[in-house]
Amino acid sequence: MSSATLADLSDTLVWLAVLSYVVAAPLLGLELAYRSRWAGRAGVAVAIAGLAANLGAALTRGLAAGRVPWGNMYEYSMMVAAVVVTGWLVWVARRREVRPLGLFVLLLAALAIAAAALTLRVPAGPLVPALNSGWIKVHVVAAIIGTATLSLSSVFSALYLVAERNERRAAPRPPLVAGGARTADRAEVDEAIAGYAVEELEATEAAEAPATGRRLKDLLPPAARLDDLAFRTTAFGFPIWTFAIMAGAIWAQSAWGRYWGWDPKETWSFITWVVYAAYLHARATAGWRGRSAAWVSVLGLVAFVVNFYVVNTWVVGLHSYAK
Amino acid sequence: MAVQAPPTTRPEPGSPTPQLGELLRQAWREFRSMRTALVLLFALAAASIFGSLFPQRPISPQRVEQYLLDHPAAGPVLDRLGMFDVFGSAWYTAVYVALLAALVACLLPRTRSLVRMLRSRPPRASARYARYHNHAVLAAAVPPEQATEAARRVLAGRRYRLAGHPGGELAAEKGYLREAGSLLFHVAFLLLLVGLAYGKGFGYRGQISVVEGEEAANARVNYDSFTPGRFFGPGQLPRFTLRLDDFANAFHPDGTPSRYAASLTALDGSGRQLRRQTVTVNHPMTVDGIRVYQSDYGYAPVVRVTVKGRDGKPVTPQDGPLLTLRDPVTEVSNGAVKLPMLDPQIGLDVTMFTGLLTGDGPGGRPTLANDPRLVNPVLVVFGWRGELNADRAQSVFTLDRSGLQPLADRPLVIPFGGERDLPGGLGTVAFTGVKQYSVLTLARDPGVPLVAGGAALVLVGLLPSLYVTRRRVWVRAEPAPGGARVELAGLALQGKPAFAEEFRRLVAEVERALGRSPGGPAGVTLTADAAPPPVREPGAARHETRSRPGGT
Ligand code: HEM
Repeated sequence: MSSATLADLSDTLVWLAVLSYVVAAPLLGLELAYRSRWAGRAGVAVAIAGLAANLGAALTRGLAAGRVPWGNMYEYSMMVAAVVVTGWLVWVARRREVRPLGLFVLLLAALAIAAAALTLRVPAGPLVPALNSGWIKVHVVAAIIGTATLSLSSVFSALYLVAERNERRAAPRPPLVAGGARTADRAEVDEAIAGYAVEELEATEAAEAPATGRRLKDLLPPAARLDDLAFRTTAFGFPIWTFAIMAGAIWAQSAWGRYWGWDPKETWSFITWVVYAAYLHARATAGWRGRSAAWVSVLGLVAFVVNFYVVNTWVVGLHSYAK
Repeated sequence: MAVQAPPTTRPEPGSPTPQLGELLRQAWREFRSMRTALVLLFALAAASIFGSLFPQRPISPQRVEQYLLDHPAAGPVLDRLGMFDVFGSAWYTAVYVALLAALVACLLPRTRSLVRMLRSRPPRASARYARYHNHAVLAAAVPPEQATEAARRVLAGRRYRLAGHPGGELAAEKGYLREAGSLLFHVAFLLLLVGLAYGKGFGYRGQISVVEGEEAANARVNYDSFTPGRFFGPGQLPRFTLRLDDFANAFHPDGTPSRYAASLTALDGSGRQLRRQTVTVNHPMTVDGIRVYQSDYGYAPVVRVTVKGRDGKPVTPQDGPLLTLRDPVTEVSNGAVKLPMLDPQIGLDVTMFTGLLTGDGPGGRPTLANDPRLVNPVLVVFGWRGELNADRAQSVFTLDRSGLQPLADRPLVIPFGGERDLPGGLGTVAFTGVKQYSVLTLARDPGVPLVAGGAALVLVGLLPSLYVTRRRVWVRAEPAPGGARVELAGLALQGKPAFAEEFRRLVAEVERALGRSPGGPAGVTLTADAAPPPVREPGAARHETRSRPGGT
């Protein structure tokens, strides 16, 4: 196949992937709403087809350009979506109960691809010399996985906010004084968190009473579970994102002679990193644990979105390979 | 037990105003609190945003100038606020220095408390073991001391730190690596930032252009741009000379560049070869601690200008490669020849196009190709006479036309290898060849090892601090009919779901150990809690553990 045919094929596959994700998401929504197992299974089947199209789109594009398929932000977004969906599927294989959450995961993936296809798409082409380095591959792969997991954790945090509000309304309980430390004494931080969990126990169990309504917010997993999911995905993604920034710095050092230059792309990667570091802090700070911390995590997703769409389309820097 | 906010110190009764020392102590406590750290992290993130909203001088001074021209009202105000060099501005520095100070202030008590934690023995449990999420009761057919000893061996085998307490209670704890890792992370991050500042202060960066076949000494005057750190003295530039033996660029079929390669030789003061290397975009060369990078290139058409000197005899004030500035978008290169020694002074605007395609345009007219490759280079020369203002600072690539009049209303178009007469019999211009020049970035950053080491340790510290969890287990055994009643309790300060699983396995192992101890097998469980169905494992069929789900 000629490279033009391959590029065309890639464009078709990309929209096929978006379509599949958009079809699979409501099926999983049905499972979430009506506990319909068949809808959940169908959703996973369609999502797998979508993932195949997604990976196919990346592969054909890579073949068309004769290089790795992550040379620009459009391809990068495609890969992020593929990693998000793969991560969710692997998780579903291990724990069935996260399957209905695919509703949000797939919408995130579809949105990421569609937004990139509409705003960041460039014709398949070769890489400029600066991008021809081993470190770029490491950097970009780590960045893709980091972006995927951290944005997923923010989605969990957002869902936590909804679920928590719901539970708070359903079972009003006195505000907790505990749940975080005011000092840097780690022992105190730990004790405070441990105390919080003991305190919280009764309340959470009350909140886990079967939900009555059929509205989305009544069907979410318990808030404590979402909070845990959000933390665990962050704990997975944060070191990877940290490493991605470092690999990028090593690459910049070899390509431009400076490992850090505050170009807009670097600046926003750093901002994103600081926001997720703040989230990890907030979880251990008095008066911040819970809702406020979750908002910080949502802010992290906002930073990613700005980094992707605003910086790539409006602001240019050395990273303008993105264009 | 809820942990309340630490008691705030109140003024002594009887003293109307709080003591100054007390106030200071309180301010210090507040400064090193988690809340302050959080606020400062947000401040850092927010401050960084400005650096991406406006063009930054250190990155692209031209765009700052353009911005100032486009925004005559707001521009100067923004400039005064440091918006065009956010990361070097006083207020940005203030935020990160405050964060670093808070970090150091935090590290001291945290280190102290880690040391205290490592020195002290694992604490006692609360009296009612049943209060803990993880709780199990076993019946052993051995005396209490032997039962405790069996549990001790199991816990020691799992690398718990152990302490015996009065009443035969055994306390065990592990997971100190979490706090140690977190401390390492914070110290390493500090180290990284120190390395960054050190490298910036004592290093420098600059650019030198060298034409193929020519040499440039590593001296301040040869730099097109030079950004020294605050503590970088001019005498610190090592003395060597760079010779560009050859420059080659290769292109993809669609014209995008695939590779730039500068073959460089570094020579010492006496002309001896220090190093010889082909420098490509991702492969710099190191000479005397200075890294040399290939960063850009341009064309230097070989131009010979012959004019009549003051005494009427022909002179050639320009005979050789002429540096031109290449526009990477249009591939048009602009340069200038300035002849201030003539009377009147003469200036030539020299423009080189990479391709003149004859008969390609509408009506068979020639067109200019904007191809990065040299297709059929052509020189377009426009002559000026008058006052060059050569004593004023100006770019070498352009003429200051304020005091100049054009020599003619049409430019000279000189094909490759051709020669043309200047208007009015002033002389001739010949285009005899094209060379390339390489723009090399030279940089010294003594902070790199510190930054790299810090970065590596950041990762090393981060992983245990996120994944290791601190957990405690208590065991007590009391005499019971037929042997002992062994009670175990467990508490995880983080990662409760995983610990519940670990606790279950631990209890099973203790049970097996009790079974192996002399005196017969272990007995039945006594947990009375009927609510959650007991989790049974093959090896733990004869006890029940009670684990309640809890948040992390
Ligand atoms: C310089 C900027 C800082 C950054 C980038 C940063 C980053 C982080 C990160 C990523 C974590 C989670 C991983 C870990 O536990 O190591 C963390 C935890 C922590 N940080 Fe910082 N930190 C900074 C400054 C501070 C300061 C000034 C304090 C003093 C209050 C502090 C106190 C803590 C504590 C107590 C934890 C443990 C919280 C827990 O138990 O999860 N950090 N920090």
